[in-house]
Amino acid sequence: MGARPKRILPGFGLSLGFTLLYLSLLVLIPLSGLVLKTMTLSWDQFLDTVTAPRVLAAYRLSFLAAAAAATINAVFGLLVAWVLVRYPFPGRALVDGLVDLPFALPTAVGGLALTAVYAGNGWMGRFLEAHGLKVVFTPLGIIAALTFIGLPFVVRTVQPVLQELSSEVEEAAATLGATRWQTLIRITLPGVAPAVLTGFALAFARALGEYGSVIFIAGNMPMQTEITPLLIMSKLEQFDYAGATAIAVVMLAASFLLLLTINLIQWRSQRHQTTP
Amino acid sequence: MAGHAGRSAGTATSAPRVSTEPLAVRCVLIGLALAFLFLFLIAPVVMVFSQALGKGVAAYLAAVTDPEAMAALRLTLIVAAIVVPINLIFGLAAAWAITKFRFPGKNLLITLIDLPFAISPVVSGLIFVLLFGARGLAGPWLEAAGWKVIFAVPGIVISTLFVTAPFIARELIPLMQAQGAEEEEAAMILGASGWQTFWRVTLPKIKWGLLYGVILCNARAMGEFGAVSVVSGHIRGITNTLPLHVEILYNEYNFTGAFAVSSLLALLALVTLIAKSLVEWRSNHNPPDRREKR
Amino acid sequence: MSIQVQNVVKRFGSFSALHDVSLEIPEGKLVALLGPSGSGKTTLLRVIAGLEAHDGGTVLFDGRNAAYRHPRDRRVGFVFQHYALFQHSTVFENIAFGLRVRPRAQRPSENEIQRRVQEMLDLVQLGGLADRYPTQLSGGQRQRVALARALAIEPRILLLDEPFGALDAKVREELRRWLRRLHEQMEITTVLVTHDQEEALEVADQVVIMNRGRIEQVGTPEEVYDSPVNPFVYNFLGAVNIFRGRLADGKLQVGGLELDAPEHSGRAEEPAFGCVRPHDLVVSRDGHGMPVLVKNIHVIGPWVRLELRRPDTGEPLEAELPKESYRDLGVSVDEMVFVTPRKFRVFLEGQTG
Repeated sequence: MGARPKRILPGFGLSLGFTLLYLSLLVLIPLSGLVLKTMTLSWDQFLDTVTAPRVLAAYRLSFLAAAAAATINAVFGLLVAWVLVRYPFPGRALVDGLVDLPFALPTAVGGLALTAVYAGNGWMGRFLEAHGLKVVFTPLGIIAALTFIGLPFVVRTVQPVLQELSSEVEEAAATLGATRWQTLIRITLPGVAPAVLTGFALAFARALGEYGSVIFIAGNMPMQTEITPLLIMSKLEQFDYAGATAIAVVMLAASFLLLLTINLIQWRSQRHQTTP
Repeated sequence: MAGHAGRSAGTATSAPRVSTEPLAVRCVLIGLALAFLFLFLIAPVVMVFSQALGKGVAAYLAAVTDPEAMAALRLTLIVAAIVVPINLIFGLAAAWAITKFRFPGKNLLITLIDLPFAISPVVSGLIFVLLFGARGLAGPWLEAAGWKVIFAVPGIVISTLFVTAPFIARELIPLMQAQGAEEEEAAMILGASGWQTFWRVTLPKIKWGLLYGVILCNARAMGEFGAVSVVSGHIRGITNTLPLHVEILYNEYNFTGAFAVSSLLALLALVTLIAKSLVEWRSNHNPPDRREKR
Repeated sequence: MSIQVQNVVKRFGSFSALHDVSLEIPEGKLVALLGPSGSGKTTLLRVIAGLEAHDGGTVLFDGRNAAYRHPRDRRVGFVFQHYALFQHSTVFENIAFGLRVRPRAQRPSENEIQRRVQEMLDLVQLGGLADRYPTQLSGGQRQRVALARALAIEPRILLLDEPFGALDAKVREELRRWLRRLHEQMEITTVLVTHDQEEALEVADQVVIMNRGRIEQVGTPEEVYDSPVNPFVYNFLGAVNIFRGRLADGKLQVGGLELDAPEHSGRAEEPAFGCVRPHDLVVSRDGHGMPVLVKNIHVIGPWVRLELRRPDTGEPLEAELPKESYRDLGVSVDEMVFVTPRKFRVFLEGQTG
C-alpha cells in the first residue's frame, strides 16, 4: 500500500513547488521586508508619521477621489455594459474592444493625454473653464484620471453577468404582469448588483494605489492635490525610507482589506448562484 | 375603439418585445454611454496623436528617433522579453497545481497570486528598494558581491515581474477549472506520459487563454510606470523605460517629445487591443473549439 | 482478465465514498454497477481504473495487485461519462492517441496506426467520420468514438462510466443492444456504471447493486429482480407495494390477508412488512383477498396501471395487469376490488435498505 501514488496526474510537486518558491521570492519575502523595516520605527514615530497633517490630507484625498471615481464608474460602467449587451448598434464591436484601452495604455500616457484634454487650452478644458470649472491641478483632475484607469473594471465584471441573465427571466416577469420598469428594478438590477459591487471595489482598489496617471494632472500641491502614493515617492526622494515605509504599510493594510472585501463579495454571490 | 383595433392588428404581426426599451430610450442610453467613453477614452488617445504630430512629421520623427528614446525603447523591449516568459511559466505552473489537484490552502494561494494586483505600484517598487537598496536588507551583501539591483536594470525587471505576475495565472485558472481534468485522465489511461498529456491535450485546450494572458502581461510589462519609477533612478539611456522617458520629457517642457514617445506606447496599446480582440474572436468563433454540432 | 476488489475503502475528506467493498468480477463478463447517485459506483469504477487512489484494501487484476501499476500501464479502457474526447483533435486523432503516445520502441508504424484506427472506426460504425471534430458529432456518435478510442489500445478490461447517461431514450436503447453484441464479439471483461435499472438488467451478465458506499446485492439480472435481499433493492429495481402488519408463526397478517413467511417462523410476534411488485398483485372481483378501492386507471400501451387505496388505512397501492385481463375484469373508478399477492417477500420492520 505504501508505494501507491496518491495523485494520478503528474506534476503536482513540480508545479506547486515552483509556484510557492516563486511567490515566496517575489512576493512574500519582499513584503515581509516592508514589515521588518516598519519594526525599526517606534510606535510613536510610526504614529507621528502616518498621522501628520500632510499625510492625513493625502489619505483623505486618495480615499475620496478613488470613491468618487469608482462611483462614476459604477454608474456609467453599468450603463456601458447594458448598452453593449442589450442594444445592437453600428460599431458596437469596436466600442467593446476600446473599453479595455485603460488596461492596455500605459498609465503615464493616459495621464498625460487627459492633462492635455482637460488643461485650460485643451479641447474639454477650454469649454469647462469658460463655465468656471477648472479640472487640471484640482481634485477634479485626479477624479478624471482615476475614472479613466478604473473604467474597464465595472464594465468587464457586469458584462458577462448581464449576458448570462437570460431575457427569459425578464420575459417570465413580463408574463406575470410586471411592467418593464418593475422588471428592471426587481429582477435585473438585483441580478447584476453583486457584479457592480465587485467592479466598484476593484476600481476603487486600483484607484487608491494609482500613481502614473494622476501625477501629471494633479499638480501635486501638498495638502491639496497630493495623493498618498505620491507622498511615498517624495519621501523616498528625500531618502526618508522609514517614513515612506510607514505610509506604505498603511496603504498595504487598506489593500488587504479591499482584497478581502472583494473575495467576500465574490464568494457570497457564487454561493447564491450555486444554491438554487 | 378604432385605435385599439389598429393597435391589436399591429401586434398580431409583431408583438412588442417585452425585454427591451422603446427606441428613444435606447438611443438616449447609447448616446450617454458613447459620450462617456468619448470623454474618457477616445479624446485622450486622439489627443496623444494630434499633440505628437502638432509640430509636423519631421519634429515627430526626430523625437521618436532620438537616441535616448531609442535606448528607452530597447530597455522596454528587453524587460518585456525577460518578464513575459518567466511569468508564462509561473502562470502555467500555478494554474496546473491549482486546477488539477486537491490540496489544503488552495484559496489562500489564489489570493496570494492576486496580491500584486491589489498593491499600489509605488509600494511594489518600494518593497524592492527596501530589500535590495543600498540601505536595504540585502543591500550591503549585494554591494559586496558587486551587484547593483536598485537604480539598475535588474531592479526594473524584478519590480515588473512582481507587478505582472498575476496576469497569465489569472487568465488560466478559471479556464482550466472550467475544463476539468477528464481529458487529461483519459490521456493518462490511454498511456500518455505527463509531458505528452500536457503538450497534446492540455496546451491545445488552453492556447487562446494563454495567448490572451500573454498579451495583457506584455502590455503591462511595457507600460508599467509607478513601480519602475521607484526602482529605476531615472538614469537616462541606462535605466529609462519608455513610460519613464515620457515623464522626463514632459517635466522638461518638451511636450512634442513627450507626446511623440507617448504615441509609440499608444500604438502599442492599440496593437494590444486588436490582438486581444482577435484572440477573443478566434477562441469564440473558431472551429473546431466550439463549432456547433450539425 | 478478472478483477478482484478486496475490502476497498475510499474517503473524500470526512465523507466515506466506499466502505469496505469487496467484489469479484470474473473474466469475460459484463458487470453493471447499479445504484442511485452518491452510492459510490463511479468511485469504485475509478478506483479499479487507478484514477482514484483508495485509502484501504486491494484491487487485484488476475490475482496480482494493481496498486503499484500506474493507470497508464494498466491497459484499462475507460469511457468517461461525458466522453472526455479531445475537442481539438479529429475523430481519427482521438482514436489514434493511445497508439501515438507509446514509447518509440512500442509505437506502431504510421501504416499500422492507420489500419488500426480504420478497424476501430468500422467496429463502431463510424467509417466515414474520421475527419470530423467531436463537436460536429451527435451524442451517440461521440459515445462510440469514446469507445473506439478506449478499445484501440487493446485493453484487458473495459470500464464505462454511465455510458448512455447523456443520450435520449431511443439512442440509448439502440446503443445498449449494440454494446451487448460488441461485448459478445470481443469478450473483454467489462464493468459499466449506471443508475438506470432497466439498462443494467438488459445488458449485464451480473448486476451489482450499490447504496451509500456499500454493495447491497450481487447476482444475475433475474436473481436481483426476482429475489431482492432487502427492501432497498426491491425499491430500487422497480415499483413496490408495502403491506405493513404483524408477523407471528411465520405468517404476516395484513388487513385480512395472510402472507406465508416460512423464513421468519419460530420468532416472537413482531411488526413486519411484505413487498409486492405491482404486476404480482392479482386483482379480482370474487371477494377473495384484501378489499381495495380503484382510484384511477391509466392505460399505458399494452399495460394497465390501477391506482388503488386501502379503505382501512388509506394507504395507496398500485397494480399492473395486461390490457386483456383488465378488459375481462371490467372495473371502473371508485369500484371495490380485491387483491392478493402472487409473489412477495416479507421483511422485519427496521430491516430497511
